[in-house]
Amino acid sequence: METKTKVDKRVPLRAADQVMRLNRLGSFHQCRLSFMRILTRRMVKEKWAFTRPVFDINANGVGHAVYSAHTPCRSYSLVVFAHDIPDADRSDRVIAHAWDSTFTLFDGIPTSDDIERLRKNIPLQEAGRVTEKELSVSRANRSVRLWEHVVSCLADGIQPEITEITKVGYLMRTTAVYGSGKLGAADREMISGRPECAAPFQIEMLSVFLTRTYVRDLVQHIAKIRGKTKAVELDSNIARCMGIGNSTGLGMAPFLLNHPNLLNNWIMARETAISRVRNLRSASISEKNIFCDLLERSILSAKRWQSDHPYQLTKLMELRRDLHILASYVKNFDFYCDFPWDKIFLWSEVTLSQEAQECLASLILEPYGYLVDPLAENMSDVDTDAFRINGSMTIARLRQILEQHYGWALNIDWTKQDNCARAWYVSAEKAEPRLGERFEEPIAAYEQPLAPGRDAAALFVALDGSVGSDTIAKFLLRYPEHRHTVRRAQIVEKAPYAEIQDNTIGSDLLPIDMLRCKLAFFGATHFDPRSDRWVRICLFGNAPYPEDLQFSGVDDWSYPPLAISDT
Amino acid sequence: MTHSLNEIEATAKRAARGAGLSWGIAEEAAKACRWLASHKLPGVTALAELLTLIDGVPHRNVSPISLDGAWTAPSGRLCPLASGTALNDCAELLLKEKPIEMINLSYPLLLIPFAAWASVHINTPVKVSWSNVTISTNGKCIEINNSSPHINVEIATVLSCYPAKDFQTGASKPGMRGIIEPSAWVRLTEFSDRTYAPATDASRRLGAGSGNSDND
Repeated sequence: METKTKVDKRVPLRAADQVMRLNRLGSFHQCRLSFMRILTRRMVKEKWAFTRPVFDINANGVGHAVYSAHTPCRSYSLVVFAHDIPDADRSDRVIAHAWDSTFTLFDGIPTSDDIERLRKNIPLQEAGRVTEKELSVSRANRSVRLWEHVVSCLADGIQPEITEITKVGYLMRTTAVYGSGKLGAADREMISGRPECAAPFQIEMLSVFLTRTYVRDLVQHIAKIRGKTKAVELDSNIARCMGIGNSTGLGMAPFLLNHPNLLNNWIMARETAISRVRNLRSASISEKNIFCDLLERSILSAKRWQSDHPYQLTKLMELRRDLHILASYVKNFDFYCDFPWDKIFLWSEVTLSQEAQECLASLILEPYGYLVDPLAENMSDVDTDAFRINGSMTIARLRQILEQHYGWALNIDWTKQDNCARAWYVSAEKAEPRLGERFEEPIAAYEQPLAPGRDAAALFVALDGSVGSDTIAKFLLRYPEHRHTVRRAQIVEKAPYAEIQDNTIGSDLLPIDMLRCKLAFFGATHFDPRSDRWVRICLFGNAPYPEDLQFSGVDDWSYPPLAISDT
Repeated sequence: MTHSLNEIEATAKRAARGAGLSWGIAEEAAKACRWLASHKLPGVTALAELLTLIDGVPHRNVSPISLDGAWTAPSGRLCPLASGTALNDCAELLLKEKPIEMINLSYPLLLIPFAAWASVHINTPVKVSWSNVTISTNGKCIEINNSSPHINVEIATVLSCYPAKDFQTGASKPGMRGIIEPSAWVRLTEFSDRTYAPATDASRRLGAGSGNSDND
């Protein structure tokens, strides 16, 4: 790898017991390693072409469309079915049964037979069935108020109010994007060998990227039908600031616990990137300028970030306050000092809230694409044998691992009700993950294995009866109930960021912290919790549209441009 | 119609848990079904039948009593998941002079994936034989001596595992989709449904955490 600047190794990676806490993971922001940015960088680099072979939607907004992305080697097509549903049926819950639009990402260009097959299945979502030709299945609902505002303005020949747009941020929000084998679709393993699919969630991100283009086209199409010759197209700057919303509930929270190696690889890539930049002995003027520009744009982004949730309101207030403190500090900062980024970083750790610390951690990566971007290649989980237990490990070694990586859990009194007040379970309706009150609902018998801390503490106690030189094989023959925990401990031994080091069943658990961590890696911005376990976000806000990609210049679209004022 | 391997793994895991197996063993039962499906072998059918057989039976009764000598179960019939996980855990035993022998092992097909993972661990192909069936694997690929109906037997009176010195590099590679026998899938789904908590009004309202209007 080419390195333009000398990278020292004086600053190690941040320790897992600092990073893997829920309140810190719940303060993560998007960065250069976010999956949306990995995707758009590749689209630009490989000069992907985009076409819209079909757009057959009537005045009521019913019909279908196809949007195709052409890489140098193959094509992918978003097949869209547009529906007209009553307002009362528009629900973001997984248990909904009707949506404004339903989608699948098709591997290649669909034939008319494919379209007819998909027309019978995609509108049904979970009740339908797809094949290995389909890579994802998703659906989206309109933001009713904003949709009507934009359609009526455009139909009347005027542009919508940008302040109204930035309040919501999107015209449609997806309520689920299923990939990797769900409903019969292709497994990730079928396509993970393709360069454009190697990084995590690239198919899902491509689906959302194309969905955004469809939504812009659809709103203009409906406005034109309504306003006829009077109608105008959406101003490109206004269109640009609109993303795709996403409503995410508890279904996503267990993901991080169920994919420990993957979580480790995401965090490891970001922590490695942070460490590389902190180890830079010097920063150039242009690097400093990139940072300062994006800090200013982060301040604007934080200003536009809306939420009514008390938890997020407090965090937002701290973020806005701290970003101004950071801007003042940086204004007078001597960037010619040794290790300038590390100095700013250390200052932030004793001065700023965790929200702002993590925002800064993402920002310092921005000037250093050559140091950071190649790390995207290590973010997938390719260790397919990691689930295999090494039975020849001794009990003494397992004890050491538990003490080293689960010390936080061994110190919790798990007999106290507050410490195990919750239980994760799956509901009979739609197989939806839920979080219940263990001592108030009859759910303990259905509990999912999503309390690694409690289980590690129980394993540690169970090991008491074994001799240190005995093997795990012998222990597990007698105690199969600890098998899943032994597996996790052996994964964590090799992957230090694999485990969230906090209680995931305590009375004070905020599942939105887990959602935020994952969504920040997607590249989401403007997290808006609707409760402690339900969050709305915006994807691809300010991103270039397909036709603008090749003119979009540097990879900084996640930060809103300062040129558009919302004051 | 084919199934994705992820679907097979997810349903098999829930089914094994629904039948009362520990989460750790359920996870490996699921990986085993996935592995067998990728080799066009009816692991889902074998699992559905096995879970019916051991439903409600304490795990200890169908687990090897000891890993020394021939493996036997207190109940007289070894479970291939209990035996398979033990085989994986003590893979090094395969490198000793004597083969590992299992007596009265139910649904021996389900043991093959565990032999495959043991093979990866000891970096040596492993052969598994019972009746007139011999299956060799290097972890990823598989070689079956014939397509005898004994491959799907309910019980192997004696099953042996030992290093496969003659493993062919031309053995068949795994595929990416699974073909499932519909009635076995229905049975797995029934076991899987046991892991779901019946919904109540309170859980509907609170469990997923949505208290607000979805329209904005």
